[in-house]
Amino acid sequence: MATYDLTPRIGPNLDRHLVFPLLEFLQERQLYPDEQILKAKIELLNKTNMVDYAMDIHKSLYHTDDVPQDMVERRVEVVARLKALEDAAAPLVTFLQNPNAVQELRADKQYNLQMLNDRYQIGPDQIEALYQYAKFQFECGNYSGAADYLYQYRALCTNSERSLSALWGKLAAEILMQNWDIALEELNRLKEIIDSKSFSSPLNQVQSRIWLMHWSLFIFFNHDNGRTQIIDLFNQDKYLNAIQTSAPHLLRYLATAFIVNKRRRPQFKEFIKVIQQDQCSYKDPITEFLACVYVNYEFDGAQKKMKECEEVILNDPFLGKRVEEGNFSTVPLKDEFLENARLFIFETYCRIHQRIDMGVLFEKLNLNYEEGERWIVNLIRNSKLDAKIDSKTGTVIMEPNQPNVYEQLIDHTKALQGRTYKLVGQLLEHAQAQPAR
Amino acid sequence: MASKFWTQGGSDTEEEETDIEDEIENGGAGETTAAAAGSRYLQTNASDSDDSDGQKRVVRSAKDKRFEEMASTVDQMKNAMKINDWVSLQESFDKINKQLEKVMRVTESDRVPNLYIKCLVMLEDFLAEALANKEAKKKMSSSNHKALNAMKQKLKKNNKQYEELINKYRENPESEEEKFEDEDEDEDEDESGSELEDPSQIAAESSDEDDEGEDVDDDDADGAWEKKLSKKEKLMDREFKKDPSEITWDTVNKKFKEVVAARGRKGTGKFEQVEQLTFLTKVAKTPAQKLEILFSVISAQFDVNPGLSGHMPINVWKKCVQNMLVILDILVQYPNIVVDDMVEPDENETQKGADYDGTIRVWGNLVAFLERIDNEFFKSLQCIDPHTREYVERLRDEPLFLVLAQNVQEYLERIGDLKSAAKVALRRVELVYYKPQEVYDAMRQLAVLSEDGEKDGDETKVEETRGTSAFVVTPELVSRKLTFPENSRALMDILVTLIYKSGDERTKARAMLCDIYHHALFDEFSIARDLLLMSHLQDTIQHMDVSTQILFNRAMAQVGLCAFRVGLIAEGHGCLSELYSGGRVKELLAQGVSQSRYHEKTPEQERLERRRQMPYHMHINLELLEAVHLICAMLLEVPNMAANSLDAKRKVISKTFRRLLEVSERQPFTGPPENVRDHVMAATRALCKGDFQKAFDVINSLDVWKLLRNRESVLEMLKAKIKEEALRTYLFTYCSSYDTLGLDQLTKMFDLSDAQIHSIVSKMLVNEELHASWDQPTRCIIFHDVEYSRLQALAFQLTEKLSILAESNERAVEARFGGGGLDLPLRRRDNQEYAAGTSGGGGGRWPDLSYNQGRQGSSGRAAYTGGGRPLALGQASRDRSSQSRGTGGYSGRAGSGMRGYQMDASARMVSLSRGVRG
Repeated sequence: MATYDLTPRIGPNLDRHLVFPLLEFLQERQLYPDEQILKAKIELLNKTNMVDYAMDIHKSLYHTDDVPQDMVERRVEVVARLKALEDAAAPLVTFLQNPNAVQELRADKQYNLQMLNDRYQIGPDQIEALYQYAKFQFECGNYSGAADYLYQYRALCTNSERSLSALWGKLAAEILMQNWDIALEELNRLKEIIDSKSFSSPLNQVQSRIWLMHWSLFIFFNHDNGRTQIIDLFNQDKYLNAIQTSAPHLLRYLATAFIVNKRRRPQFKEFIKVIQQDQCSYKDPITEFLACVYVNYEFDGAQKKMKECEEVILNDPFLGKRVEEGNFSTVPLKDEFLENARLFIFETYCRIHQRIDMGVLFEKLNLNYEEGERWIVNLIRNSKLDAKIDSKTGTVIMEPNQPNVYEQLIDHTKALQGRTYKLVGQLLEHAQAQPAR
Repeated sequence: MASKFWTQGGSDTEEEETDIEDEIENGGAGETTAAAAGSRYLQTNASDSDDSDGQKRVVRSAKDKRFEEMASTVDQMKNAMKINDWVSLQESFDKINKQLEKVMRVTESDRVPNLYIKCLVMLEDFLAEALANKEAKKKMSSSNHKALNAMKQKLKKNNKQYEELINKYRENPESEEEKFEDEDEDEDEDESGSELEDPSQIAAESSDEDDEGEDVDDDDADGAWEKKLSKKEKLMDREFKKDPSEITWDTVNKKFKEVVAARGRKGTGKFEQVEQLTFLTKVAKTPAQKLEILFSVISAQFDVNPGLSGHMPINVWKKCVQNMLVILDILVQYPNIVVDDMVEPDENETQKGADYDGTIRVWGNLVAFLERIDNEFFKSLQCIDPHTREYVERLRDEPLFLVLAQNVQEYLERIGDLKSAAKVALRRVELVYYKPQEVYDAMRQLAVLSEDGEKDGDETKVEETRGTSAFVVTPELVSRKLTFPENSRALMDILVTLIYKSGDERTKARAMLCDIYHHALFDEFSIARDLLLMSHLQDTIQHMDVSTQILFNRAMAQVGLCAFRVGLIAEGHGCLSELYSGGRVKELLAQGVSQSRYHEKTPEQERLERRRQMPYHMHINLELLEAVHLICAMLLEVPNMAANSLDAKRKVISKTFRRLLEVSERQPFTGPPENVRDHVMAATRALCKGDFQKAFDVINSLDVWKLLRNRESVLEMLKAKIKEEALRTYLFTYCSSYDTLGLDQLTKMFDLSDAQIHSIVSKMLVNEELHASWDQPTRCIIFHDVEYSRLQALAFQLTEKLSILAESNERAVEARFGGGGLDLPLRRRDNQEYAAGTSGGGGGRWPDLSYNQGRQGSSGRAAYTGGGRPLALGQASRDRSSQSRGTGGYSGRAGSGMRGYQMDASARMVSLSRGVRG
């Protein structure tokens, strides 16, 4: 089942620290041998400052209590550097920790800098040190500290480049702390900057968008309102273009969001075209499912794909999020997806049929007869479906939906009246203008 | 009647043309003599002695024949003079000029035969006489008078070249006449008694001598020197008589300046100049000087080329390439020498010797030379008849050029001039991009082969240089070997990446087009399409030069073929339809000159066009292209016609196809198909009836399919498509005759699987092309025939008429006041949208059409009624898939952003034609 795993494609677009949750998930699902994942984790940690964690993993990987010498050395080095940075940033940190002092800060950045410089002898060097310190804290895994410092740094920083990376850092920290609401705010702020700022090159801009979309996956699939927002973000032209060119695998998430979200019909049609266009560059069961239902009208194929989709969703770190309810855990998205997918198939199927054998239909929908009949009855009752069940033959009969002749006639002639009035108005206007002249 | 008119027109232009040709010939007479000398030079090179009797006899007989021809022409002229017929005189004059050329070629002499001079003198006298006689002039018929005037002009121009000879002849006609006889008898005598100081002749002699000198060993060198000088004292300075070691930089420099200064002057043989300069390279004192002189040699070699339309003689071309390689050798050997064409170097810059430390600047432009060499190669391929062996031989020289280009590029990259390197890389790309893998492999093999062959040649060449004891010996440092990657794609990728990184806009655009072409050639449609869309080339192409536009058209054609091969019919049609819309495919692809019936071209335009032609081996097969275009059109248009059989005008996909169909339907009898068009029309007739088998058989019988590499799979695909469209057509056509239609019956009729038919029919149902629905338990299609009662039908008619009435009222008001203009078009568009929505489901029917429609939309064909909606859709989605995606994606791949490209697909055709027609 590892074939549809996107981690290798998503990973490069994430921060090192953001990859951990993915690896955790993979470990849990046991898609790959444990050893591989542990090794990957150590690899990841190598460049960060979370040496203790790396040591633990090393121990569990090789089942020993020894740790390699370089790790020990690195630990010493990290601690020393932490100390140094802490000292460098100390003046500013103490200032910021003093609530009375902080109240003196105003909205005006220039004023603040001036004030800090004059009264506390805190110059640009100290501010820069704060940034470095925050970064270091982040590397060490102290996300909450990093987030705080970065927030304050942004208030003082004048360099826009730096401010941008501080924003990225803040976003990562919030995601890792799972503060979804705050993370969403940060995300929107970042998005604004990316869209508004005249980036050094369009290439850079596209790359930033790609990163943003990857990072946002954490938020959207955890935030309550995320599924609509993911469509809002990804389906924007600029972002969709970026997906199509550089990261077609993100189509999976957009497709899932569309399927789960019922109220997005107009955009959905456009999206089907995109899927069709990009079938050569990316496909997985979810997009193929859509292609089957809406492009090729292959219902048997769609049904097969639906089964595969289930697997894919379970094995995807973002889609397959588990919710513990009492003793057993469920994947809420999976159920929702299946329900909606079934509805999609059924809807399309109904559109082109006059009479459907229920047995066959339920087979296509992966339902048993009883369940299916209830399902259809419900649809009819909620007047989502204009049909009747013929229980003697076991069929559903669609009501023909012929356009009403009278309605058509009225439609044709409705506009005439308005047009005539307009014409007369024009005539009169002209006639009045004439004598005036 | 028309034909008569046109033939007349044609002959008119022909006349003009010949005039110009004559001018060229006459103007270039000097060069032709030089060229003749060149061939002679070659021959002597090949066989040291050309005195063997047998050979001479053969030559002589041919020579005699030419002379006889000439003499008979002179007789004709005499007759014409007697009756004062200037028209025939003019013809004869043209003829004799042509014959002169032949004679010169045959006799291998550079002297104009006396017979010709005599004839010129005679003509001149007669002309003067005729002009003097005013009364006779008045009596002349108009055509005769015209001819007289023309003759006056021509003769004046022509005689200027031979002024000296004519004067000499006038002085003592007798002796010349005798000499003419002599010459006929024995050429050597003529040579020994060389009172005539025709410079070109001496050039030939000197070149002759030069060769001898080269062939003689070191010991004889001095003797050769003496001998040479005795013959051309005027040309070579006395200084060179001294022992070679005494030659100083100054003397060489002085001589060099002298020779260069003579360039372009009257009476300077171009070939002779090359010879002199070549000699000077051997005596050059410093590498820098040698380099400088070599540059001049190459320039002089370029001068040898007669006129713009002709190409450089092939042997000269080859020498030119060798010289370039030597230049590179020097540059590699002495990295402190810098070639630059921006700064005027110091007078004595080249005096600095090989051991000089600092940089030495030498004037020159490697890229320009290389490009010129490439252009000459291209031109020669244009001129040579592609069906001859000569053409093939010429093609074999391509690796030679590729070696040079590769070396120049490497050198430029090494010195960090990436911009120029990109230009050179583009030249290489343009030689590779159109080659399918097989051809590429063949070229690689050829390169390896010719290497083996060249080894011997190289050795002798080395000896030769040793023999002449050049002062500055340059070892062959630059490899004469081609290093090719296995795969042409790999080569393309390397080169194209370099160009995208550091080329200028035009270079990048061209490289991009070549890249697209190459991808398309290798059946990678989606990559080619993405590149095309992302680069936004179609938006700016009409601002580019014609040759780039042609390249664009070629790329489009190839992309169309590629789309067809991979089974994307609609895309294929989208790419090709535009090419065929004007009926000027040949012109657009530069694969032959097309005669336009409505517009006559001036000779100037025609010449321009001829200069743009693609060499034969680069052609895209036109028959295949036409077949693909028509088949695509058929597959789209036939079901479309069936669907809208009631109002055929509403939605036309391919106008060209419709027109052809009309023509073929008008024919009283339809014979068996002969050409591509007939075949497709026959297939169309079958397809209209839903007879897929017959349609496929007819198309299968086309013999252009053998040109496809993966023929089987393409035909397989085609068959499947034909079946599908046959099914659709059948359903459209006969849906009114059925109440229900069984799935099984359809499977049997169209030889398709249940699932396929179900899928196709479902698609039609969803798009509301067919008013029916499935009845699943019985596996039937149930057609809902929407039948209106009489009252309802009448009511519909009434509403329709009402709306027409309202519209005409509005139009009347509009015409009167001109004020209603604003709302009318608006509303009309609404109507169209409605129509499109109901009739075809708009863009939904062929959902992937968006890309093509986008192109159509941008091409300003919005004039189609009912096209409103799909166009709009297409445009929107094109914008999406290309606009900002383009910049990023393209640059992502290429490594540098190529922004701001905006163009239009069809406008480029227009502008191309504008370019053609001035």
